[in-house]
Amino acid sequence: MATTAVTSAGIASEAPRSDFGRVLAQRERRFAAALLAPAFLALLATTTFPLLFLVYTSAFRMDLAMPFTNGFVGFENYQVLLSDERFWTSLLVSLVYTGSTVALQVIIGLALALLVMDMKRGQGWFRVIAILPVVLSPAVVGMIWRTFMLAPEFGIVDFLAINAGLGSKNWLGDPTLAMVSVIAIHTWQWTPFAFMVLLASLASLPEDIYEAARLDRASAWQRFRRITLPLLRPAIVMVVIMRTMVALTAFAAIFTVTAGGPGTATEILNLYAYRKSFTELSIGYGSALAAALLVVTIIISGILFAMRRAK
Amino acid sequence: MTAKRLRIIALLAISTVFLLAWAFPIVWSVLNSLKTDSDVLAYPPKLVFTPTWEAYRDVLFGSGSILPNLLSSVIISVGTTVVTMLMAVPAAYALARLRFRGKKFAGFYVLATQMLPPVGIIIPYFLVLRNIGWIDTYQGIILIYLSFSLPFAIWLLVSYFEDIPFEMEEAAYLDGASRLKTLWRIIIPQVRGGIAVTIVFVFLNAWNEFLFAVVLSGNTVRPVTVAMFNFVSVEQTLWAKLAAVSVLAMLPVVVLGVVAQKHIVKGLTVGAVKGGGRR
Repeated sequence: MATTAVTSAGIASEAPRSDFGRVLAQRERRFAAALLAPAFLALLATTTFPLLFLVYTSAFRMDLAMPFTNGFVGFENYQVLLSDERFWTSLLVSLVYTGSTVALQVIIGLALALLVMDMKRGQGWFRVIAILPVVLSPAVVGMIWRTFMLAPEFGIVDFLAINAGLGSKNWLGDPTLAMVSVIAIHTWQWTPFAFMVLLASLASLPEDIYEAARLDRASAWQRFRRITLPLLRPAIVMVVIMRTMVALTAFAAIFTVTAGGPGTATEILNLYAYRKSFTELSIGYGSALAAALLVVTIIISGILFAMRRAK
Repeated sequence: MTAKRLRIIALLAISTVFLLAWAFPIVWSVLNSLKTDSDVLAYPPKLVFTPTWEAYRDVLFGSGSILPNLLSSVIISVGTTVVTMLMAVPAAYALARLRFRGKKFAGFYVLATQMLPPVGIIIPYFLVLRNIGWIDTYQGIILIYLSFSLPFAIWLLVSYFEDIPFEMEEAAYLDGASRLKTLWRIIIPQVRGGIAVTIVFVFLNAWNEFLFAVVLSGNTVRPVTVAMFNFVSVEQTLWAKLAAVSVLAMLPVVVLGVVAQKHIVKGLTVGAVKGGGRR
């Protein structure tokens, strides 16, 4: 048993030489396999298998409304997709939505973290209130904004707009305003996340570098550019990656607010795939759209992780 | 007025604006849920009014009560949490502490599954569950929820397991304890805090989920996030009732969030460093 401890502690880093050592290493492998098996079987069943099944269904015409036309079509769905204007529009909407919400979250979150970091009192308020939007369901958030905040001549935002002399606006009925609204809602909900993570990283930066900089009479801007920003870079990149992945997969906060409308003004790729499959009931083509979404996600995460590795 | 004074006032103003912006939609929903239907519709909006529990009484005990939906949400969230933890704790321990071939790949696989967009896999779920008759069942929804709760829970737990000193295990092995016994008696108590944080996160994510619930639920199993749609229709919106349902849907997660506030921040940053974290 004493040798087991050595093996598990990783002290015997080279391959075990004796038969006894080999038996122990094998036991450790078996124990690991037994512990991993349930979780990995569940992950295979709920992620890998559906993925393969999706690729399979995307090669079929599968129309729940007109089942008599169903059948194998090969790559036809993908050919249709490439010349489908609505697909390219939704991809553009997705990129605008993701790019703007992530940029806003990081900029506002960082500015606010820097500001709160300097506060001697009242940090507690920020910590408690910032938790609130983050723990809420995007579906509930969307519902509250759609009604109590943005409804014309009823919501608070409209009330403020009228009092500011801008007049009542159709916040969710006008294509441009609807896009601005869904971006604002996502930013409202998730900026606290960026803020909290960046505030925690700021708090962990070494104090003495700042002391030295102050002695050298570096200005606040210089201290920010030369010290804070480089030290914070890994945290910022991580926030960008996490928020991008979430914004790309956003669904509920748009579905509940505009359902992609008016028309297709706020229809991100997710919503298009959903509408095609479950509203228009073209499961085959919907699968091809979902597969395209997957490819887009892989490309973007690839770019982001390359950014993370680069200096 | 000195420059310093001005700075403090500016700081205070900016802080107030942001705190208000984040708190207001939630506070406003709570206020509206305590109004009568005519008070909700008053223009300009009423900040002072006589509070009433009417809307809550209606949505909880009136016709079309949402009590069954709240129960659905509780069963789904608790079920998902229990199953997830039973699978994630052993897996995270193996990934963090044991040596075996393919460990790196296993870790990468878990991370990769976490990045899967839900819309990308909802079609196969729907087709398969419909085939085996699991649409509108608890087992169906809980099984599918594992797709996002498991990878997240495993990654978060790995970071906690990695923090325990190896000496603790060694001492136990020297005393002749078996691997399983050591895991159960020595290791698990050490990561109690991490397990609690993970439970909070898994519960929150399951309670808040919407896309899978909308497609895979039905008349028997319908969580409150989906059921709240019944209060908004083209003909009329039942404002006070909608506010009451929103507040009921927010209540458990807000309470959990405020109580576990410090740990949530830690969980988020651990996730940030490890590349985990969802929603």
